[in-house]
Amino acid sequence: MAEQTSTASSRRSSANRKPKKNQIPLGFLTVAFIIIVALLLNIKSSNMAFFWLTGTAFGFILQKGRFCFTASMRDPYLTGGTSITRAVIIAFAITTLGFTAIKYGYAQAGLPIPGMSYVVPISIATLVGAFLFGIGMVIAGGCASGTLMRVGEGFIMNMIAFVFFIIGSLWGAHDFGWWKEWFISKGPSIFLPDVFGWMGAVIIQLMVLLILYVVAEQYEKKRGGAH
Amino acid sequence: MKEVMLDCYGEACPVPLVKSQNKIKELEVGDVLIVQIDHSCAMKNVPEWARKEGYNVEVEEVDDGEWEVIIEKTK
Amino acid sequence: MEQKKEKFFDRMKSNEYYIRWGKNPFTYVTAAVLLSLFQIITLATTKSPWGVSGAFATWGAWIFEAFGGSVDKWYYFASPGAQATLEGGILNHPDSWRNFGVIFGALAATLLASGFKIKKIKSKKQIFAAAIGGLLMGYGARLSFGCNIGALYGGIASLSLSGWVFAIGMFAGAVVGSKLLVKYFMT
Repeated sequence: MAEQTSTASSRRSSANRKPKKNQIPLGFLTVAFIIIVALLLNIKSSNMAFFWLTGTAFGFILQKGRFCFTASMRDPYLTGGTSITRAVIIAFAITTLGFTAIKYGYAQAGLPIPGMSYVVPISIATLVGAFLFGIGMVIAGGCASGTLMRVGEGFIMNMIAFVFFIIGSLWGAHDFGWWKEWFISKGPSIFLPDVFGWMGAVIIQLMVLLILYVVAEQYEKKRGGAH
Repeated sequence: MKEVMLDCYGEACPVPLVKSQNKIKELEVGDVLIVQIDHSCAMKNVPEWARKEGYNVEVEEVDDGEWEVIIEKTK
Repeated sequence: MEQKKEKFFDRMKSNEYYIRWGKNPFTYVTAAVLLSLFQIITLATTKSPWGVSGAFATWGAWIFEAFGGSVDKWYYFASPGAQATLEGGILNHPDSWRNFGVIFGALAATLLASGFKIKKIKSKKQIFAAAIGGLLMGYGARLSFGCNIGALYGGIASLSLSGWVFAIGMFAGAVVGSKLLVKYFMT
């Protein structure tokens, strides 16, 4: 690539630009701040320190990877790219394996399975909520994690979205009772291993993810040719 | 052989990519499109798209958090 | 001393490992693997997958109460658990700390790559887009028990069918959102 494009950069003169500031020292200061906060939280509760540190890890990875759940849903339609979509599918597959291993271990030991609060009722509210969320994240340029990450990156737009996200959440919480009464309470919670068995559920889910991966890649190839 | 600047400073994803896709259609083979961006995700997805299209691409960091994606329309 | 420090960090900019891990972005797949790793760690230690937007409703309640409102009668906050969280305050709320962590982790990554910049608003349209989008996300996330992280990622990885239903709804929303974005919010 480098030899093909050597002409491109030589066109540009960067003489009139101010010299770049080196932000690395500030970066190390931020890391030091993260560690100090963790130590302070640890005095009070190691659990709190753990949440803080995993949060920074998630933020760091999301930013470094430019990992964007919004893009994974939006780009296939809007720009025809599916590379993020495929990465999200990979994440789902790996995490499914890890989660199921943990859950299966608890089930085998006769203990309550962790994370079952995330197996939630399916109703029209799920679809409506997801649909609204989907519109919102594309317009606002980031979902919940993406908004937080971009607040950290210095996007004023996402800071505004963040404020309204909180207002919207409060509004949603206000109306939650109504949705619960009419729709959510009537919806079933379906934990796939209850239907297909542990092995069956994992295999079926991984197969679906695999198919989606292949479809995404083929779709991108097809659309790429149309340009 | 002309050089077109596309100012996408302050634009959030996916706007820089959509604008680049639209703009490059107007250009002729041999023209160069320079997309100015400060959205860190666009700094990845604009070059990725352009490389996939088979254009010559270079990314230059012009300032802290500001990039120019230089795309030569080769076909 | 100052000068030496400056030089050290300037030298660092050309260090091969710095460029690889500090400057250049990870590939999407690398990020996917690392996120999965921390998701699994999170479930193993906290007994719950990673969630983001649930805390936003609690923050909203705190702000609302700071202005003299009361959410005690709302069904959403009626459970003893939710009441205890509200009373505990933000500093005793683990999910809030994790969200702060996401912000600071992203900030650290950006600064270490020497790529931080305050991105100003370019047009009024962006303000409307951010406000409308934020409201829709907030409201939607409450109806469907979470966002991309809790309801989608956490849901699917937890082998819950609700995650897949969420994915379908969200994909449809993303298509409509894309059309709206191109039509109304692109300058």
